[in-house]
Amino acid sequence: MKKIVFWMILILVVSVAGFTAEENVDQLIAKHLEARGGLAKLQAIQTMRITGKMMYGPMELPINIEFKRPNQIRIEIAVQEQTIVQVFDGKQGWSINPLAGYQGGKKDAQPMSPDETKEFEVQADIDGPLVDYAKKGHKVEYAGQESVEGAQAYKLKVTLKNGTITTMFLDADTYLDVKDSSKMNIRDTEVENDVIYSDFKEVDGMLMAHAMEIKAKGAPEGQKMIFEKVELNVPVDDARFVMPEKAPEAPKVPGVSS
Amino acid sequence: MIRKHLFRVTILLFFALSLLAQAPQPAPVKVDSDTVAGIGARNIGPAIMSGRISALDAVYEKDRLTIFCGAASGGLWRSKNGGTTWKPVFDKYNQSIGALRIAPTDPQIIWLGTGESWVRNSVSIGDGVYRSTDGGDTWINLGLSASERISAIEVDPRNPEVAYVAAQGPLWSSGGERGVYKTRDGGKTWERILFVDKNTGAASLAMDLKNPDVIYAGMWQHRRLPWTFESGGPGSGFYKSSDGGKTWTKLNGDPKRGLPDGILGRIAVAIAPSDSKVVYAAVEAKDGALYRSDNSGETWTRQSDSVDVMLRPFYFSFLAVDPKDPLRVYKPALFLNASSDGGHSFTIVGYSAHADFHPMWIDPINPERMMVGTDGGLYVSEDRGNSWRMVPNLPLAQFYHVSVDEAQPYNVMGGLQDNSTWRGPSKAGGGIANRHWSNLFGGDGFWAWADPTDADYVYVEYQGGEMARKNVKTGGSRSIKPQEGPGESRYRWNWNTPIMPSPVEKGTIFVGCQYLFCSRDNGNSWERISIDLTTNNPAKISNEKSGGLTSDNSSAEMHCTIYSIAPSPKNAKLIWVGTDDGNVQLTKDGGKTWKNLAGKITGLPSRTWVSWIEASPYAEGTAFATFDGHTNGDMKPYIYRTDDFGQTWKPLITPELEGFAHVVKQDPLNPELLYLGTELGLFLSLDGGQAWIRFSAGDFPRVPVRDLAFQTREHDLVIATHGRGIWIVDDLTPLRALKKDVLEKDVALLPSRPQQRLGLPFEGWCEGDQAYVARNAPDGINIAYYLKKRLLIGDLKLEVLDENSQVLDTPPVSKRRGINRVYWSGELKGPKVAKGSTPAFSAFGGPMVPEGTYKIRLTKGKEVLESQVQILADPRSPFTREDRVACFETVKEVAKMLEDMAYTVDRIADLQDQAKQRGNEIKVDAQKAKFVKFVKALETKRALFVPVREEGGITGEERLRDYLASLYGSINGFEGRPSKTNLDRKEALRKDIQKATDDAELRIKKDLVELNAILEKAGMKALLPMERSTWNDKQKK
Repeated sequence: MKKIVFWMILILVVSVAGFTAEENVDQLIAKHLEARGGLAKLQAIQTMRITGKMMYGPMELPINIEFKRPNQIRIEIAVQEQTIVQVFDGKQGWSINPLAGYQGGKKDAQPMSPDETKEFEVQADIDGPLVDYAKKGHKVEYAGQESVEGAQAYKLKVTLKNGTITTMFLDADTYLDVKDSSKMNIRDTEVENDVIYSDFKEVDGMLMAHAMEIKAKGAPEGQKMIFEKVELNVPVDDARFVMPEKAPEAPKVPGVSS
Repeated sequence: MIRKHLFRVTILLFFALSLLAQAPQPAPVKVDSDTVAGIGARNIGPAIMSGRISALDAVYEKDRLTIFCGAASGGLWRSKNGGTTWKPVFDKYNQSIGALRIAPTDPQIIWLGTGESWVRNSVSIGDGVYRSTDGGDTWINLGLSASERISAIEVDPRNPEVAYVAAQGPLWSSGGERGVYKTRDGGKTWERILFVDKNTGAASLAMDLKNPDVIYAGMWQHRRLPWTFESGGPGSGFYKSSDGGKTWTKLNGDPKRGLPDGILGRIAVAIAPSDSKVVYAAVEAKDGALYRSDNSGETWTRQSDSVDVMLRPFYFSFLAVDPKDPLRVYKPALFLNASSDGGHSFTIVGYSAHADFHPMWIDPINPERMMVGTDGGLYVSEDRGNSWRMVPNLPLAQFYHVSVDEAQPYNVMGGLQDNSTWRGPSKAGGGIANRHWSNLFGGDGFWAWADPTDADYVYVEYQGGEMARKNVKTGGSRSIKPQEGPGESRYRWNWNTPIMPSPVEKGTIFVGCQYLFCSRDNGNSWERISIDLTTNNPAKISNEKSGGLTSDNSSAEMHCTIYSIAPSPKNAKLIWVGTDDGNVQLTKDGGKTWKNLAGKITGLPSRTWVSWIEASPYAEGTAFATFDGHTNGDMKPYIYRTDDFGQTWKPLITPELEGFAHVVKQDPLNPELLYLGTELGLFLSLDGGQAWIRFSAGDFPRVPVRDLAFQTREHDLVIATHGRGIWIVDDLTPLRALKKDVLEKDVALLPSRPQQRLGLPFEGWCEGDQAYVARNAPDGINIAYYLKKRLLIGDLKLEVLDENSQVLDTPPVSKRRGINRVYWSGELKGPKVAKGSTPAFSAFGGPMVPEGTYKIRLTKGKEVLESQVQILADPRSPFTREDRVACFETVKEVAKMLEDMAYTVDRIADLQDQAKQRGNEIKVDAQKAKFVKFVKALETKRALFVPVREEGGITGEERLRDYLASLYGSINGFEGRPSKTNLDRKEALRKDIQKATDDAELRIKKDLVELNAILEKAGMKALLPMERSTWNDKQKK
């Protein structure tokens, strides 16, 4: 009798464990979206502005990121009031780098290479690649579990339409996306990096990461960013994404003095 | 019936769960690898000598060459750019690579067999076959884990799911999984298609890619024991199948075929890719030779039997045929032997590469190009082996031992398999490169020590106890090996002979053969202080008979020797000795009397090799010992502790441990903290050995760990791996603090070592991507804390404060479970710099705080924790603290000047904006012109301060801001007191800036009266210069 009970418990335990191990992809995605605040709220976001800072040695570089549907993104990082700009306007990418050259200073816009553009395009998706992944041409597979900084996470291997493979790590307790591990092809050469998210805070009913670290795979430390403010559905002018034809006035970073 | 049971079980479970819910017990704190991973670890290489390469394959993907390089015990490395850069792709798994094969039809599918097949005495072990279907990024173990080693894999070119695996089988015992296995379903199931007996494994395999059902296999009977090696036996044989392994024909034993008669040993086989009827076989036999068949193995003709070609078949058993010329055949051995006449004659090429060649790859498109794997790394030739280029960035060093010295920065040193003894720094300007390492001796290296009595000298050795004391400045070395006296029985020195300095008497060293010797004069003379401490068993002293068919007595099989010497740090007369034949001996009277404690260790199989004894630094009677039975086929870890001088021993063995044990160490400052190195990695115990956790910090691989050393001044742990070089855990202080009470806290600040500043000149230059440079310890002030749980939601704030509790900086934090480490730069934030058309690069850095004690404040929710961190000045610095404070204060002063100027320039620019805007709105043209003029005038004022040209070329436009920024960089870049020139320059610039500012203000004051009068009349808002307070507020945003 005792023996039978033992086996029964074993079977139960094994089957329960087996179930969690074989988490269904769509179930995981649903839980993840729920954790973020729900698909409805997410899809109601038309624009988003993130202001914060990037740590660069002893420097704190103000950073400003603007999103606007459909698929537009503008990132600005200010170094000593010189603003590096990177934009994807829904079709093409362009950038301004006033630090380029020997002494910097030039503020004209340059087109991005197709490889960089295709990576940037992914960043422009407010929803993230998991929402309507099939419709977007991405493929998502369950890839087991792994610990991220000491906490278990479910792994989703997302093969993006552009060929980049991103493994998204969904925290096993909260289902929040705590790490993205990407392998992309830039000029036919693999570039791998990890993005680790933390400091989740509520913004208009949505949980959003307010700290982020980007590092090359295997590097002990990366670039850390802290987001001080995340604003949803604020006015963002379409002109912000249009590639200027001539050298514009030095762009202003909202929240940054000039 | 079953339903009833199920119901009861469910009820029981429900009951149990509800009980749990009612009385929530605090969950036990999870202590595992992740708890300590935040401590980090860094590999310092070296890559200069690399290590043994055991398997190779490569494939062209489009026009780029992807190479897979398998190391003997250093894992699998992949290059996607023809060998320029490399990445380890197998670190989570077994690090001993036996065979690898890229599927001929799909370069994304790679088959990998673990367990090296070149079975030297120090060879590691594998755990089966793996496969990747994504080009090597991820791997799945497919079984055959009892094979211990895989010698070859062939993949069917018609279907990459069909593969043949040569399982060589356990080396030190019979049984296991041996023979040729086949899978038809990508490794899900295996069929053993060729088997001889429990002592014979498959040591080679060759598939005819033009007719993939044709397979040749070399079966090999062999066995290694601690005291001998036996190659050859009736089980050995050469087989062929023409039906995909359904049936086999034995090719030897039939005189008509022309192969040697009698007992065979190891057989290497290769098929000419350009003409698969041509097959080569190097056959170990009493009269072994290379054989060639020109009719697909039907008959064979004897070719070269030169000693170079037939050398050490257990170690050199690889054949390669030119992809285009069937008569051009290569036999890697001590060097590379090349034949252009079908194996009839050979010449040696490749003397410049490291000796001992194993696998080889020849470019199918350009056969001039080839790669070989040697005992000393991977080499590439572009001229058929006549000249070689070493791949200098594969850090595969196989250390046996490591020690550290007291230099600043300290050096690590140790000996390696077939790669001498090396010394290199723990830190170097710009990182630790190959050029920083120096070769101290020769042969196979083992123990190496800095002479504590004279920093110019080191103790070094090569195999069989050939030891010397060497002057590292002059290179002169004196042999110090003890020699037999008249009539004395021959000394037996282990392959890896222990040399051990006394921890209490500087200048005293111990060495051991079967006797223990002590020298008090740096090895000039020796006193024998023991009887034969081994079993002295004649049956196990038979190394001269070692080798089997081919003699092989290299001292690697010398047995009944002393292997471990552990003089007590508490008592100079107390010495522990461990022997390779299982004796644990103790003397308490400096060697006058000895007690053999071998029988007192329960649970340990008799005569198990004593791999390590560690005398505790805390109590005389306490010692730790590891035992290693792998050379008798026992792979289990054995670790014991005694607290009563060896009368009783307590096992510290838990299920978490993997791999036979090499070394145990007790932390010098926390007696509960233990470190254990095994063949399969490093393990830590935080509680004196009750529980062990695998060490995986810094992506530390599952690599053999053979020795550990503490650098007590720096509190560093130095790890000697056999396959992946030296790793350093910088500053163990936070780990040492991880005691039970701390582990139970939600958050705790952990102590760190005082942070020693140590400037080093930047070395190196642009060397391309193939240069190997290992990381130094992270720059900055190390701040450590502990989190019981990973922090995902909620703030965690870290602040550094000065003695007046002023916040200096808020470094970004990490939030992992367990130990977290943050490296604060030790610099204040860089200054605010006036905005111009270009950046002022010289002012990017911040003022470096002087040495001293700084407060740390960690805030998590309502919990506020405080501690301190100490910064120490560079001990070699020629400057005083006052000098550094003068520098710091001056830099801050110039930073303030830069900031004042930033305000001035912003004030001007803001006023220009206001004037432009008002000017645009004003209707009267004459008035409008006044505004335009004002804006222009201000522009000339602004242009005195900052560059204004926007074209991005090298304008050379430098203004007051740039002069000041340049001065700032100049003062901040030097540790000492600012020079008089710089101080004078500061004052000169102050005057120039003041003048420019006064000029601008005068103009503003003058023009504003007129312009504001116009505006007032028009009913418009007056021009209002920005106040400093407004500007200050803006900066805070």
